[in-house]
Amino acid sequence: MVVLRFIIDNILTQAAIIIGLIALLGLALQKKPVGTIVSGTMKTILGFLVLSAGSSVMQSALAYFGDIFNQGFGLNGLESVVASIEAINGQAMGELGLGSEIAVSLAGIFLVNIILARVTPFKYIFLTGQALLWESTLCVVFAWFCGLRGIPLIIVSSLVGGTFATLMPAFAQPVVRKITGSDDIALGHFCTFGYMFTALIAKLVGDDSKSCEELKLPKSIEFLQDTYLSVMVVMVPFYLIVAAIAGPEASAAYCGDTNFMVYAFLQAMQFVVGLYVLLAGVRLLLAEIIPAFQGVSQKLVPNAKPALDCPVLFPYAPNSVIMGFIFTTVGSLMGMLITSIPALGVPLVIPGVMSNFFAGGTAGIFANKVGGRRGVVIGCIAHGIFIMMLPAFLSPMLAQIGFQNITCTDVDTVVTGFFFMIFKSIGGLF
Amino acid sequence: MFLFGKKKEKTAEKVEKAPVVNKEELISQAEAKVQELEGTKEDARVILLNKIGSLYFQAEELDKAIEYYEQSLDMKKQMGRSYTDLMSLYNKKRQQAAKAKNDKEISYYLDKVQGMMQMSKDMLRGKM
Repeated sequence: MVVLRFIIDNILTQAAIIIGLIALLGLALQKKPVGTIVSGTMKTILGFLVLSAGSSVMQSALAYFGDIFNQGFGLNGLESVVASIEAINGQAMGELGLGSEIAVSLAGIFLVNIILARVTPFKYIFLTGQALLWESTLCVVFAWFCGLRGIPLIIVSSLVGGTFATLMPAFAQPVVRKITGSDDIALGHFCTFGYMFTALIAKLVGDDSKSCEELKLPKSIEFLQDTYLSVMVVMVPFYLIVAAIAGPEASAAYCGDTNFMVYAFLQAMQFVVGLYVLLAGVRLLLAEIIPAFQGVSQKLVPNAKPALDCPVLFPYAPNSVIMGFIFTTVGSLMGMLITSIPALGVPLVIPGVMSNFFAGGTAGIFANKVGGRRGVVIGCIAHGIFIMMLPAFLSPMLAQIGFQNITCTDVDTVVTGFFFMIFKSIGGLF
Repeated sequence: MFLFGKKKEKTAEKVEKAPVVNKEELISQAEAKVQELEGTKEDARVILLNKIGSLYFQAEELDKAIEYYEQSLDMKKQMGRSYTDLMSLYNKKRQQAAKAKNDKEISYYLDKVQGMMQMSKDMLRGKM
């Protein structure tokens, strides 16, 4: 009894252990050899700890940025947030202590997705692991904010996340079918509201007879050759500009003998280091869990369409990806300026370069299919503004929950947040 | 204008998908092209491999189509028909494996699909 109590009180309360147990279950379900089960479980635990370490590094670089930004621009009451779903996940699993709930809900989302794909006409199995982790994070965080705890929190998060995982690919499928010319595959990327918004604008203003694919454009974007280098290219100028405007006094408490501009540069690099470590942790964490889910789901719903990550669509329209990225970036910079308008009462949102590439590129494909070149230019600028404004409006709620200096990127996760907030408001009426 | 475009596109898709010749004829065309492979090099070989892959795909010889498309993409990583057809082929094989509840093949073709997505990312970033 004492041993059992010890296990319940000291071991099963650890998020890393809970996550390891989920991986263990997945590996056992696949009837893997004992050696693979042990190593897979340990690697998953390691993944969680690496993720937490990355989150701490990112958090300290973000705290510094938030502070000097307030000192530089705070007189107007303006605050800043960096759009990074990775940082949201890191803080939720680490600092907010919701790691166990997020991991168990991730497994719950798999289950609900499989059940819905089996019993409803929406035969979609969501196979993008990272996106599911982000969705699980937002579901848990907002369910927790609505006052749910323990089993009810996990059940509600799993139901909402699983429903999103089934319905979002179905929502995008009419356009995906046009893009791929078949109904074999679906899109599993939680930016669907952004894509469909872009397609709507492109359809209204565009002309699909003039496709981007007829243009002569470079075949690749070398600027994005290295993910982390491109994040650096964006973050370093932001840190340097804010540090320069805030002046040396603002950074004095942080930088000691180091020159304040050099310190700002190093902190921007620290942000990238944090992201690098955090994503390495996410990969380790999901490496064993996702294949288990994929294998089980394929057997239970063999006729389901796999909802895959957005690069699956890139080869259908590579020019549209490049143009979509460029014009979404233009739009998100415009969105950033809009968020700086004090009357809106939202923080200034610093755009995330990686979401511009993946979400922007995919939005470009959607826009080109229904609205051609003009659709891509106008639709993707609107998309860029859209994916900045939505997270900006969610920021005050994230700040209330305890997230510091960050906001979400993938808009379906933002919609999930609003969905919970609507229920909270309705609940508050009674 | 938009609706007209949509109709045209649908007709084009249908025309493309309709089997023009029977399976035996497609296979014999593919086999003839396989003979031509000998001595064909570089881009001409890639084009030929894609034609063979496409003929086998139309003849619903999935494994053979995969074999030639894989050879084509090994020689030259490029976006377009070879990539999208191969993705579709892997997906069909994955579905067959799922229906047969064959764990090994399910995971093999899921890995192939994941590999294709990584290739797509790398091609756009100019890594290939």
